[in-house]
Amino acid sequence: MNLTKINYEADEKWADVVPILQQEGENSLAQIAYTDEYSQATSYLRAVMASNEKSERAMELTEHIINMNPAHYTVWLYRADIIKTLSLNPVKELDKLEAISLNHPKNFQVWGYRQSIMSIIPTLPPKELSFLAKVLAKDAKNYHVWAYRQWLVEYFSLWPTSEGKGSELFFIDSLLTNDVRNNSAWNHRYFVLFGRNVESVMPLDIFTQEINYAMAKIDTAPQNASAWNYLKGILRKQKKGAKEVEHFALQYVSLEDESKIRSSHALDLLAEIWAGEASDKACQALDLLSNKYDPVRANYWQYRKSLIKAAQAA
Amino acid sequence: MSISGSHLAVQRHVEYIQSLDTQQDDLEYWLTEHLRLNGLYWGLTALHILGHPEALSREETIDFVFSCQRENGGFGAAPGHDAHVLYTVSAVQILVEIDALEELDRRTNEGRGKVARYLANLQDKQTGTFAGDEWGEVDTRFLYAAINALSLLDCLSMIDQQKAVEYLQACTNFDGGYGASPGAESHSAQIFTCVAALAILGKLDLVDTERLGCWLSERQLPNGGLNGRPEKLEDVCYSWWVLSPLAVIGKLDWIDREKQLAYILSCQDTEKGGLADRPNDMVDVFHTHFAIAGLSLLSYPGLEPIDPV
Ligand SMILES: [Zn+2]
Repeated sequence: MNLTKINYEADEKWADVVPILQQEGENSLAQIAYTDEYSQATSYLRAVMASNEKSERAMELTEHIINMNPAHYTVWLYRADIIKTLSLNPVKELDKLEAISLNHPKNFQVWGYRQSIMSIIPTLPPKELSFLAKVLAKDAKNYHVWAYRQWLVEYFSLWPTSEGKGSELFFIDSLLTNDVRNNSAWNHRYFVLFGRNVESVMPLDIFTQEINYAMAKIDTAPQNASAWNYLKGILRKQKKGAKEVEHFALQYVSLEDESKIRSSHALDLLAEIWAGEASDKACQALDLLSNKYDPVRANYWQYRKSLIKAAQAA
Repeated sequence: MSISGSHLAVQRHVEYIQSLDTQQDDLEYWLTEHLRLNGLYWGLTALHILGHPEALSREETIDFVFSCQRENGGFGAAPGHDAHVLYTVSAVQILVEIDALEELDRRTNEGRGKVARYLANLQDKQTGTFAGDEWGEVDTRFLYAAINALSLLDCLSMIDQQKAVEYLQACTNFDGGYGASPGAESHSAQIFTCVAALAILGKLDLVDTERLGCWLSERQLPNGGLNGRPEKLEDVCYSWWVLSPLAVIGKLDWIDREKQLAYILSCQDTEKGGLADRPNDMVDVFHTHFAIAGLSLLSYPGLEPIDPV
């Protein structure tokens, strides 16, 4: 984008516009921090907005201001207005946004604007998902980007197929292969599978598929809380208890040989499974957690134990 | 260690907050100007907790607050800035804190009703959530801010509370936490906003306290600090975002109090005053406030108690 200094007062193209200066008092505290170039450009923006001008030169003006201050939200809204009024090509606009989105990925305006432009495009532009992959490669946990991606999934209905497959799951898997502790990716996985407003048709074995998926990922990093939380979330959604993963969890725990305990999360889940029928073992697991494997949360583990004791006494 | 120490350097922190208003020549002051009304609220609340509410002039505080009010009834970050729900709640909270809410009725002709109408109009009638301003970004932070302010103004009846509750419920996640919108990842700060809003609306029975408490207590790291999401770095502002909802659901003892106290104290600058996000970082009023508020929730001796909501 243009880095040279732009002087509207010296530009013939703008000769017919009378800039509207910032009013006395308004933003007076802030003025010091702004450059002359910025003050002049925003004075022309005020004039353009006052006459509701939607034009090519107004597009250039908004671009200039956005480059100087991408947090200026009125200018983004006005730019979206111009695009809609003049029926400018929205896909071309998205291409233009790429650099600023990569440079200011934590700026909400960038994503709110992208969403408003995208919502005048009828089908998903072919480059969109690879662009998002590029942004997430820089910061895989950016909250704005994930919120935007969820909107995109709903808007273009990028939900998994009835066989439980699809581009979103494929992408999430590539992120988790890269970093299995990426909690945002786990959350997105749950969202695309179970987050639809309309009760969707899901294959009966979706739970089996996801339980297997989580177990395979846990095996690569048994102490990864995100994967265990996902597994617990799926089991909860399935409403059949956690008994079916007992053998799996036992791979990382041995009550007889403490040197074989490789995951506090496995102990946690086993304590839950054992709470009813094998309460002594459950209490043993909870003691191990509070004394050795997660002492920071000792009170929490002891609370769980007190529930078991209370049930025994009843 | 001269930087941290094992006691809260109360006098230093009071002086630090007082000094913020006199540093108007610093470039940093200008750059953070968009946060000023919030900054005033954070500084003032910290002073109240520290037991020095008189350290900022009451009259000047009120004047500044009203200089930020806009035509539409909302408040901006500083004089001349557009209104936003986050600054409006700060304005209301400040006025309540210094017992000056009646100034709203005295100084403006439509009084608190106008502020309340500004806030109520930000509610999305369809979904029940709130936008931050007239431009439409939605986030449970804005919902909490609006509900908190409306409750302080005693005007909650102006909004559709049932819809707001349904929206909050839709933000519940599979891991027991809450996100910024339905489906969005659980995040400690969003959990604070959702739980506090449900508390104000009298709907805490909708919270699965056991699973939420479990997730929140999992935020404590071996060094005693708290983080906002799994695998993220600790930060002293989470001493508020995590501890407040734990206090609301009565599970504050599920974290290691001593370790958390030691962590917060390690973030203070005992020479110049103020607290930072992490030990040895630059202090700021935002982290100073959340750290001191966290200490208050943990009943650190000598501090005034704070309402977790
Ligand atoms: Zn922080």
